[in-house]
Amino acid sequence: MATKDKVLQVIYSGIDAVNQVSAKEARLNKEPETALMGEAGKLDSLGLVNLIVAIEQKLEEEFDVTVNLADGQAMSLKDNPFATVSTLADYIAGILEQRKP
Amino acid sequence: MSVPVFKGAIISDFNAGNFEGCLKNSEDLPGVDPVLAPFGQVVPALLQDDFECWRNAPDFAVVWARPQSVIPSFARLLRYETVPADLLLSEVDAYWALLERAGARVKFLFVPTWTAPAHHREFGLLDLKAGVGPAHALMQMNLRLAEHCGKSPNIHLLNSQRWVEAAGRHAFNPKLWYMGKIAFGNDVFIEAAREVKAALRGLTGQSKKLVLVDLDDTLWGGIVGDLGWENIALGGHDAVGEAFADFQRTLKALTRRGVLLGIVSKNDEAVALEALRRHPEMVLRPEDFVGWRINWQDKAENILDLVRSLNLGLQSVVFIDDNPVERDRVREALPEVFVPEWPADTTLYESTLLSLRCFNAASITAEDAQRTRLYAAEGQREDLKRQLGSVEAWLKTLDVRVTVERLQPANLQRTTQLLNKTNQMNLTTRRMSEAELSEWAAGANRRLWTIRVADRFGDSGLTGIVSVESRAGLATIVDFVLSCRVMGRRVEEAMLHLAGEYARSQGARTLHARYVATEKNRPCLEFWQKSGFAAAEGALFSWDLSNPYPRPDTVTIEGKDA
Repeated sequence: MATKDKVLQVIYSGIDAVNQVSAKEARLNKEPETALMGEAGKLDSLGLVNLIVAIEQKLEEEFDVTVNLADGQAMSLKDNPFATVSTLADYIAGILEQRKP
Repeated sequence: MSVPVFKGAIISDFNAGNFEGCLKNSEDLPGVDPVLAPFGQVVPALLQDDFECWRNAPDFAVVWARPQSVIPSFARLLRYETVPADLLLSEVDAYWALLERAGARVKFLFVPTWTAPAHHREFGLLDLKAGVGPAHALMQMNLRLAEHCGKSPNIHLLNSQRWVEAAGRHAFNPKLWYMGKIAFGNDVFIEAAREVKAALRGLTGQSKKLVLVDLDDTLWGGIVGDLGWENIALGGHDAVGEAFADFQRTLKALTRRGVLLGIVSKNDEAVALEALRRHPEMVLRPEDFVGWRINWQDKAENILDLVRSLNLGLQSVVFIDDNPVERDRVREALPEVFVPEWPADTTLYESTLLSLRCFNAASITAEDAQRTRLYAAEGQREDLKRQLGSVEAWLKTLDVRVTVERLQPANLQRTTQLLNKTNQMNLTTRRMSEAELSEWAAGANRRLWTIRVADRFGDSGLTGIVSVESRAGLATIVDFVLSCRVMGRRVEEAMLHLAGEYARSQGARTLHARYVATEKNRPCLEFWQKSGFAAAEGALFSWDLSNPYPRPDTVTIEGKDA
């Protein structure tokens, strides 16, 4: 759980970066239940790219790991990890868990 | 009163949506409402007058294209082909012709310099070699663009290399490019947005004009009243002393581009001035300051008093103080004054000052370099005023001379600068580029004069503008602009006399002036209310030209265009 909390903070800093360039109505709340993609999500394609890049950069700084969140595997999963902030945090925490020595 | 929002157009060969977002969301003034042209359409957007981004009549445009997409020879260099320099530069010239065409559609056109593509690092020793090196070519290309911009009054080159450096390793990200066709990281766009806004402030008269500094631990290290001037930290072979000396040098450099310096400090005045005069490594001497309030009074009150005595507005002031309590006090009492956060680390003073982005100017005139001297002369005038008691007696001794000239190429730059910088004595506060002003003044039934003011203390230079448009018996004063440096010396009445005599010569029966209120031009309204013109509807002033508007007897009007 400690890892997921840390990952949530990373995602929130990514949301800050996205909000910095987004119109007011498209800004995301920093909450686990915030919908990202899909019908309820506010992220457009530009916002998604910004979020992915911001999170990847932050993960590198915080965890010293290089993660590719835009690979085909993530996008093709039955349960899209980009549905909400919480599902994305679970997905990233899972990747970090696998990377543990 | 609402703050003006500038309409903009962004034209780029890459997806500049994030740059648009930074411009819109940045809290820096002025507000900006940009329209983003579809990316990859640089040449059609520059060529076609009816392209969508121009439809909203933008005030400014940013044209940001990567060099490999608009200069074909540069793309060839990236493929290791050899390209003659003259071919490369001829393509830059052709691109410039497009920019010039677009420049005619807006007041201000901003062009970020070309930077090297991030992934082209393999050129190594060849990078700066003539004919094959992209870095060498980019220097030539940017220089050529800068030379063209130097001849254009409204197209400005912005140094994007600084944005890239500020963003560091996040300046570029291949994923942004391949997933979004975004050429730069957001840190670059944030810097770019700040720079564009600073440029807009500079070009529309919103730059800061006066820096007020504290003394102890701001201009030098330590408390001079406790240590004595011999023992303060300044210069010498000491990191802290050197940092203070460099900070002073940078402040002094600002005075050469027209920024004024003043002191507001809680200190004993005699002790502080002795330090400024006698310390061997003091860079700033008393004569470098246009005024000071060195006492134990409240700093906000001292700032207000000093700024009023200089005839400046609080919005043109920056206050620098190492003490956070004093900064908070001034922020709270005088919210119009810009009080930057100041680092505790003295070695950061100089770089903090240089990063403020509030002194932007499109050009430096000879008058800018002498502004401190001009204000010092103003101080002498004020002293005389105090000695003589009555304003009329003071004006008689001043020997004010007004020299009148029509607008011409030799005074166009200074006149435009004055029109765009003057806030207080400005009837309509219309802002125009050199080309627009020149074109307007050349129109039928119009006359625009520039006003130079001198007196026995010195020449204040070109400090006034008055223009008249006459039609069917009615003459209208369109511009009535006077620098705060010469306000209150009856130059205002001399300008009205000039306008009135011209209007009478054109057969006009009435002379009108319509005051347009802004946040800052209340002094102008106060003058017009006392001008003798009849006021109607609050803001429309009129003079019956069957009587000439009297020439002030304390002012001599000279010049062949008078």
